[in-house]
Formats: sequence, structure tokens, C-alpha cells
Amino acid sequence: MVGNKIVVIGDRDTVTGFQMVGASECAIPTTPEETRSVLTRYFRDPDTGLIVITEPLAKPIESTLMELSEAPVPVILLIPDRQGSTGAYEDVLRELIRRAVGIEIKV
Amino acid sequence: MSKILPGTKTTRMELLRLKNRMRLAERGHNLLKEKRDSLIMEFFNSIEEIKKTREEVDVALASAFSALTKTKMVMGPAEVVEFANASKVQADLRISTRSMMGVVVPVLSVEQHVPQLPYSLPDSSVQLDVMSTKFKEALKAVVRLAEIDSTVKRLAIEIERTKRRVSALETIVIPRLDATARYVKQALEEREREDFFRLKFLKEQMESES
Repeated sequence: MVGNKIVVIGDRDTVTGFQMVGASECAIPTTPEETRSVLTRYFRDPDTGLIVITEPLAKPIESTLMELSEAPVPVILLIPDRQGSTGAYEDVLRELIRRAVGIEIKV
Repeated sequence: MSKILPGTKTTRMELLRLKNRMRLAERGHNLLKEKRDSLIMEFFNSIEEIKKTREEVDVALASAFSALTKTKMVMGPAEVVEFANASKVQADLRISTRSMMGVVVPVLSVEQHVPQLPYSLPDSSVQLDVMSTKFKEALKAVVRLAEIDSTVKRLAIEIERTKRRVSALETIVIPRLDATARYVKQALEEREREDFFRLKFLKEQMESES
């Protein structure tokens, strides 16, 4: 199967940490536009298997993320940065449950 | 009142065909309902799992970041970045896909190759080793989370789609077929009665003539 590169898009600390353990491509974008262009570039690369992006960076480009996560590969994952989780992730989960089951369930 | 399918001929053949279609639609409806139920079951199992893995990732990342801060304090931020850039550790990601009740979900696994000497030992602090181990664990947890996360997303999309199909069959397709079949049947019966009456009428006429 295609894709064996791990791409990390995040702030300096996240990128440093994951580079240490073998993430092959990293980016430290500073503006939402830059984040979006970096994300699409890695997304189109057939070698990319997993894109890890930090929550604060993902927030302004949510619509693009939603669109891109339709495809099975590469996988896009949001992780909390060093400030800890912002809860953006829980909102996504709740929305998914609501759409799937039709009622809101506390997770 | 549900609509009758346009362009239906009132013939016996048509009635048979409609009945076959009804049976097919009902079987599909039952199957889809079962699929939906088991998808929802699977979905909730995954939700449980995702919560657990998410917590693991949070914990692993928090401790990794604190180790990173300590390393920065000992070695200086610029040095740490340099070491990270020069790191020889390789992480190989394996991706395959598997089908879970017709839903294609990715399966991820990561293999980390750590060379005997990943970085220059005299220049690095022991904190760098600690940090590197912590981040290795964090990466593993992140990869596992990625797998479950995308499974859940895909399941949710599939559940939505299945639900829509079930209700389309239930509220539109089946009632419409039902109404059409009834209409054809009534028309056929009506024609039969007409025929019967016509025969009777002719017979009476013939009897009165003779």
C-alpha cells in the first residue's frame, strides 16, 4: 500500500519532538493560508500516510480538513499541542454521534 | 397517499413483476436495517476505544512535552532543534485498508528503527534520551489513535448513508410499490367483472331470441 511517511504540522515544539523520533516531513506554518497550502501539498503526495496536525493550527481551516478527511488515505489526525487539549476534538465526536444515532449522547 | 408508479400497464405480467419487486425491496429493507444496527453497535465500541486512546495520547504527549522542556533547559533550545534535525531514528508507517461491513477503514502500524547510536552521545544530555523515549511512545499512541479515529469517522458516514436508505425504502419505495400493485389488481378485477357481465348479457339475449 502507498504511503509510509509521517507528516507533522505544528508549532516548533511539536515538530521538534516528532522529528526526534522519525517523522519524515515537518512544517511550521504561521498563517492559516500557509497551513492550508502545506496541508494540501502533503495530502496530494502519494508517499504520505499520516498527517498529524495540532489543534490550534487546525481550527481556522476546519472546512478544508473536513473535505480532505473523506479519503481513507492519508489519515489526518488532530493532536493537542503543549497547551493541552482545546476540546475541539470532543465537539467533533459529539457531532458524529449526533449524526449517526440522531440523538446527543454524553461521551 | 402514495403515488402510483407512472407508466404501469394493468396486466397480469405487470402485477407479477411488481410483486417480485416488492419482495426484493422488503428483503433489502430488512438487510439494510440489520446492517444499520450492527454498524451502530460497532460505532459505539469504537467510541469507547477512542476515548481510552485519546486519554493515552493526552497523557503521553503531556509527559513528552515536559521532557522536551527539561531537555531545552539543559541543552538549550537551538541545540535540541539541531539534534532533532539530525536524528537518525526512522519511523516506518504501514498502511493497509480493511473492510468492516463494506466500510473501508485504514489499518496503521508503525515500526521504529532506532540505530545503536541515534545521535552524538558526548554532545547530548541524558534528558535527550528520556525525551526521545517519551516521544516514541507518544508517536505510537498517536498512530493508534489515528487508526481508530478514522474508523469512527468512516463508520459514522456509513451509518448516516444506511439510515437514509432504510427510510427511503420504508417511506417511499415500498408504499409506492404497494399502491401500484393494489391499483393493478383492482383494475384487473374490474375487467374480469366486466367480462363476466358481458357474457351474462349475451347469454340472456341469445336465450330471449331463440
